[in-house]
Amino acid sequence: MPKLRIEAEVNGRKVNRETEPHKRLLDFLRDDLNLTGTKEGCGAGECGTCSVFVDGKLVKSCLMPAGKASGAKIETIEGLAKPGDLTPMQRAFHKTGASQCGYCIPGMVMAATSALRENPQADIEEIKERLGGNICRCTGYTKIFEAVEIAKGVIAGTVPETALEEDTVDDSFIGANVRRLDAPSKVSGRLKYAADIKMPDMLQMQVLRSPHAHARILSIDTSEAEAMDGVACVITAQDVPGTDGFGVFVHDQPIMARDKVRHVGEAVAAVAAEDLVTARRALSKIKVEYEELPGLFDPGQAMDPGAPVIHDYARDNLIKHIPVRKGDVTAGFAEADLILEDDFTTQQVEHAYLEPEAGIAYVDPDDVVVVISPSQNISHHRHMLAEIIAKPINKVRFIMSPVGGGFGGKEDMIYQGMLALAAMKTHRPVQLNFTREESLIASAKRHPSRVHYRMGVKWDGRVTAIEFDMLSDGGAFGMSSEGVMRKAAILSCGPYEVHNLKVDTRVVYTNNTPSGAFRTFGGMQAQFATESMMDMAAEALDMDPFEIRRVNMMKIGAKTHTQQTLETASLDRVMDAAEQASRWEKGAPRVRGATRKDLNGPDTRQPCTLGARIKKASTDSDESERVA
Amino acid sequence: MLTYDVYHMPTSLEEALTLWANAAEGSRLVSGATDILPWAREGRAGDVHLPEMVDVTRIPDIDGYAFEKGRIRLGANTVYQDFLTDVTLMRSLPCMPYCAIWFADDQIREQASLTGNLVNASPVADGTPAVVALNGEIELARLDGGQIVRRRVPVVDFITGPGRTQIAQDEIATAVIVDACNGFGGSFQKVGLRRSLVISVACCAALVKTDRDGRVFEDVRLALGGVGPSPIRMIETENSLRGERISHALIEQVAQAAADRVGSRSRQEYRREVVVNFIRAALEDALTNQPDIDVKFEDQEEQINA
Repeated sequence: MPKLRIEAEVNGRKVNRETEPHKRLLDFLRDDLNLTGTKEGCGAGECGTCSVFVDGKLVKSCLMPAGKASGAKIETIEGLAKPGDLTPMQRAFHKTGASQCGYCIPGMVMAATSALRENPQADIEEIKERLGGNICRCTGYTKIFEAVEIAKGVIAGTVPETALEEDTVDDSFIGANVRRLDAPSKVSGRLKYAADIKMPDMLQMQVLRSPHAHARILSIDTSEAEAMDGVACVITAQDVPGTDGFGVFVHDQPIMARDKVRHVGEAVAAVAAEDLVTARRALSKIKVEYEELPGLFDPGQAMDPGAPVIHDYARDNLIKHIPVRKGDVTAGFAEADLILEDDFTTQQVEHAYLEPEAGIAYVDPDDVVVVISPSQNISHHRHMLAEIIAKPINKVRFIMSPVGGGFGGKEDMIYQGMLALAAMKTHRPVQLNFTREESLIASAKRHPSRVHYRMGVKWDGRVTAIEFDMLSDGGAFGMSSEGVMRKAAILSCGPYEVHNLKVDTRVVYTNNTPSGAFRTFGGMQAQFATESMMDMAAEALDMDPFEIRRVNMMKIGAKTHTQQTLETASLDRVMDAAEQASRWEKGAPRVRGATRKDLNGPDTRQPCTLGARIKKASTDSDESERVA
Repeated sequence: MLTYDVYHMPTSLEEALTLWANAAEGSRLVSGATDILPWAREGRAGDVHLPEMVDVTRIPDIDGYAFEKGRIRLGANTVYQDFLTDVTLMRSLPCMPYCAIWFADDQIREQASLTGNLVNASPVADGTPAVVALNGEIELARLDGGQIVRRRVPVVDFITGPGRTQIAQDEIATAVIVDACNGFGGSFQKVGLRRSLVISVACCAALVKTDRDGRVFEDVRLALGGVGPSPIRMIETENSLRGERISHALIEQVAQAAADRVGSRSRQEYRREVVVNFIRAALEDALTNQPDIDVKFEDQEEQINA
């Protein structure tokens, strides 16, 4: 294959290299030059983790063929400041805490740097516009914008450089701004995430995934792929030496599909090869014969007689049922002046952390199988993997690489097992970096839920009884479903003391993408129903929504839904603060409307617009012309 | 994943045309490359292997722009960001800055060319309605017996359907020629799901010029994208406004009438509502953006009293 020669200036140094013609600038920087501060979050120009300067203009290096870099001057996050130093922008990001997981931060720093290079006087609206191509998922934009504003002032000389220094802490750290210890490594792009790590002789893995939601695997023929030049090994479920199966509660998920596939995107086979392109080409040579089975997609039908069975051990497709009982709901409803009844549904949600799943496995000289990955639960993974690969626990080691956002989505061991198997089969380090699409299709999601709700209330707003019945779609595997149902049940009726309740949360198997852990762990779905019911009850009773909540809120001495007596409670203060901060206009919800006095206050977010700089440009030019 | 064997970067049009004429079947021309790389991914084209890529961005012949008899010839290497940074272009093509600001983001606009956007011929390409409103033509060049031969095709005819154009196998698009519309007010309306980086569900470009008093529509240009397989120039709407006294009532009336004539590939009811709102918003916005003229609506007082 002909090579592409690239002569360029990168971070002030001349570079003259041959590389593969099809490489993107991102690949050239990361793979050929080891400049891994530039990240790959999506590969489609959507996220901005790969922003770099080319001839002074900020571009997304995942959208640029490497050839375009030839003859160009390139500046990456590593080149902004001298080694060991930070620019005012990087120091400002450090100061304001604008780096949580840090995966988007090199790109953010680049975009912020570009914004001020393009217009050192850019106002906040223009700064927001110019950072519009970069996404953050956990730091939040407020701290980032704060950082850009501080840096703008320092660069312009209107703010003293001391503004970049850490605030002094007096007697207590509580309420003080303390800088994050790991921020310099993140704002400088030096922190190595799993995909940034390279080891000598390392293979690249790619995964063949199921196109079917539910199908029996009749045969897998890997011979042609295995015979390919550059392919080190192909692995399937047949390569698992121990007891296959992992999961946070029930070990129902094989490392790779065994006998059948249960959702679109489930791993069926994996290839480890000398390079990524060879591994991807080898996938297309693997022949899998499937026999499609009837699919189950509606959790409402999962427990019907005759519904397709997803796992043999659970003929009724029930993963878990959590019942909570307190008091006497029949009596509670009898006591009620009004009974409200409604249904609430929530949808599947993807975590969309900026760092797609990535990992490396190798076998060390003492035969310890080592897995490096941004796992949110390495000890549990280690125990499970030991069983799966039939090794004593001291021969399995997990190293947690920096997590570029997890939010619960990296609790499941969905690829670490494949890496371990390939490393054991080849005795070479093996790396797997998910694409964004692969992350979307293979990782767990927030449980879609349906809640049927009955609430009995007195005319004074007091809730006398609640029946809360939740059905959640667990998807193809159990993952964290059991824990999510427990949390949903515990939090079901909200921070309100209800003497009579009947709570049931159920989660069932379907052939949808598996559901798992996600921030709030089931609480969000339950609170959506409960808080909506509270508002609807307030409307029905002609009460202020804050008032009905105050009538029912848990106070010191209250008994929770699971009958724990509270020794402290702060909901009263929380509600006072929320009411004040929102400038709440008292009254029943029916008075809502455009005439409310609490709308459009000083902190209200304005509708988004674009183009402030267009009008400014034409005004500026008029002025400059007059001068000329 | 996109792979290819050779990446060419010709430095003259002749060299590019020769390379292109001799390129192996399945090769692609590439300008900013911001569309082809996301295309060759899972869920769209998947893994794609192409024999050759011919990059046109190092050809000086198609850089920059030039005025010619009331028109502007935009070289094919004109990128979207140019419409936000070049004051001359901003003034002469008043709908383009608004189109550009809603197109992708600052970083992609540095790479993405207007010509590439037109040649890709997506039904929801942001550039198409704006160029159609500017009476745009596309210039296509090819080699004929060693000589460069050029032809021009109106953009409204050039795009024949989703991803389909009149470009011939051996041609390279070298320029877009548009009306210079100094003194017009411009507007671009777009619906999508996110502020930056969103592909339009539908979009609309408008150019408006009034008399000096701001009372009468002297010239109106309106075009829609995303409501059919190819861009739509709203000639009847333009005609029913030209020479008329400016009023909110008239704008509302033509917006309703326009929506009746617009078909759509999907979500018809939604798109109909969008079209009505687009035309109304685009006209009012373009009137506001007209430089140095204070527009007086005939029914202005009525509106305030109402």
